[in-house]
Amino acid sequence: MSGAGAREAVFPTRMNLNIMQGRLKAATTGHSLLSRKRDALTTRFRGILRKVDEAKRKMGRVMQLASFSLAEVTYAAGGDIAYLVQEQAKTATFKVKAKQENVSGVMLPAFDAVREGSTDFNLTGLGRGGQQIQKAREVYAKALETLVELASLQTAFTILDEVIRTTNRRVNAIEHVIMPKLDNTIKYILSELDEMDREEFFRLKKVQGKKKRDAEAAELVKQQLAAERADIPEEDTETEEEHALDLLAEKDADVIF
Amino acid sequence: MTSTSNYADRILIAVIGDEDSITGLLLAGIGHINSHQKKNFLVVDSKTQTSTIEAAFNEFTERKDIAILLINQHIAERIRLTVEKYQDAFPTVLEIPSKDHPYDPSKDSILKRVQRMYGD
Amino acid sequence: MEALFFNVDSGFLEAIVRGYRAGLLTTGQYHNLTQCDTLEDFRMQLSQTDYGNFLANEPTPITTSTIHAKATQVLVDQFNYLRSNAVEPLSTFLEYMTYAYMIDNVILLITGTLHERDTHELLERCHPLGVFDTMPALCVATNVEELYHSVLVETPLAPYFRDCLSASDLDDLNIELIRNTLYKAYLEDFHKFCSTLPDPTPEVMHQILAFEADRRTLNITINSFHSSLTKDQRARLFPSIGRLFPEGNNALARADDLEGVKNACEYIAQYRAFFDTAASQSNGNAPGMEDTDAALTRLENAFFAHEVHLNKLSFLQQFQYGVFYSFVKLKEQEIRSLTWIAECIAQEAKDRVGDFVSIW
Repeated sequence: MSGAGAREAVFPTRMNLNIMQGRLKAATTGHSLLSRKRDALTTRFRGILRKVDEAKRKMGRVMQLASFSLAEVTYAAGGDIAYLVQEQAKTATFKVKAKQENVSGVMLPAFDAVREGSTDFNLTGLGRGGQQIQKAREVYAKALETLVELASLQTAFTILDEVIRTTNRRVNAIEHVIMPKLDNTIKYILSELDEMDREEFFRLKKVQGKKKRDAEAAELVKQQLAAERADIPEEDTETEEEHALDLLAEKDADVIF
Repeated sequence: MTSTSNYADRILIAVIGDEDSITGLLLAGIGHINSHQKKNFLVVDSKTQTSTIEAAFNEFTERKDIAILLINQHIAERIRLTVEKYQDAFPTVLEIPSKDHPYDPSKDSILKRVQRMYGD
Repeated sequence: MEALFFNVDSGFLEAIVRGYRAGLLTTGQYHNLTQCDTLEDFRMQLSQTDYGNFLANEPTPITTSTIHAKATQVLVDQFNYLRSNAVEPLSTFLEYMTYAYMIDNVILLITGTLHERDTHELLERCHPLGVFDTMPALCVATNVEELYHSVLVETPLAPYFRDCLSASDLDDLNIELIRNTLYKAYLEDFHKFCSTLPDPTPEVMHQILAFEADRRTLNITINSFHSSLTKDQRARLFPSIGRLFPEGNNALARADDLEGVKNACEYIAQYRAFFDTAASQSNGNAPGMEDTDAALTRLENAFFAHEVHLNKLSFLQQFQYGVFYSFVKLKEQEIRSLTWIAECIAQEAKDRVGDFVSIW
């Protein structure tokens, strides 16, 4: 019995059996709940996966467009505006705002692009190329919006991934560790209890048997006495009977103890 | 899952990239220099040390006001281990293509994970 | 009379520059370049032109910025050769040509110094044509006041600075204003200088400079819509030369939209044509913002095309210095076109590859 698997260290009593059965029931409910959650999350996750994949590819195109607009700037402005742009950057006018979204009890953050009207670079390229620079700004801002969207997806992806892993771990733990353990414990308790039942039953049987034989012997003695009193019947039976009585007496001591 | 509590403070987009990418993104208005004269962008050229990139990557990922970190894919390639090790949700690390290096989905850390999931 | 003695001093250089000019890429070569599929092909094609194997030592993969830098280097080498062989007054003339690049460099240094950037990095970024000996000295300055004085003392641009700016003007916000103010002063000064040269140089140069000034005026006007630039400030940036000066400039200073700009240019047939082509081509497109954008892009291209045209004309005249100026401008245009084509190839935007200005 001990080799059949891990079990809780409890005494095989009926109370513990009740407790274990309760726990098994709870575990089963928990398991089905968690696996439903996992399924819901996974569905969502698959959706996001597809979107991430799509968005990443879209980003490739969008960014290409954006860097092309920068090439136009280089063509028109001629010079090197990169350095000036770097130096003039001071305060972000393109920011993101995070909000949360609830998916099956998981908080997923989502970013929103926030643009404030900016005057930072609108004098850049005043002499030449200004139009292209403005255009590049617009294109890049649009590209950034795509990037921000992608970032939200990706964050959702990372978080969902983590949550799904945890849920998966829990589901698996319940399924493969907790439930078998409880099962084993219940089986153990049941078998112990059965064993105890059987022993008890046997003992009772014996006690009953002995009492019956005692009663029969007493009856016999009574009959013999009655017969002796009437007349002496056969000798043989008496010795036999005496032998049997002896045996009984021997056993008696055993059983009684 | 980890640090969602302070997500609301994260409003900036940081970039590690080559000059062209940075110029474009700065034009769009993401540049920010805070009170400690810390910039939220790093220009990487062929002379930039890998350790500098790594330091910037770590700095940006530890800053509390950055929501998204954009990094050129070919630069991420140079510090791939660090990027792969980074798994937090905030700030989100996003690999973007650059002018001279078109986007290669097979190298993206996140997409790699996506592929792995599909492979499961 | 001038023609008689011109060749004594400048005949050799004029021959050289005309030789350089003959080496500019032809339409056929451009055509070949646009057919390339990769930058490797592009490099191969270029090696068959006058550029030779200027890219031979570059490691692969080659980038567009390398092509740009190398091509610029070719131009700089050619220019420096001309400059080192020049005698007065041609050397001053060439000197004047570098001032335009110096303005950009000085502006760059000012911006960098204001932000306490690394000096060496700054110097590397300067345009090689605008380098002057005392440039590193500018980086020593630590504050705006010092910077202003060192600019006055150390640079050939001092007169422009003195005339239009005070130390208090040197701050971040109006760095672009400074640049344009300087440029205006430079154009006017160059114009004046050309007048002192013997005929027919002024004749040729005035035309080119006038167009350059008008282009700046128009650009500044158009670019300052929707910006923080006031109309007063705008008017002060207009060079006081050019065919639009003075009535056109006045009208432009008051212009509020593209229509106003168009009206201001109405009485100069050539400029009106720019707007006409820009407008007529965009009529078929979707209306609204897109429309103006496209029109402006075409306007810019029209400017480039016209500049090339004027510069080509200057080669038709002999015995004058205009060819030197024109050559540099044409070469610059060629470098821009090369970069553009390379960019289109690198980014697989073949549909736009034709949007450059061919020189021949």
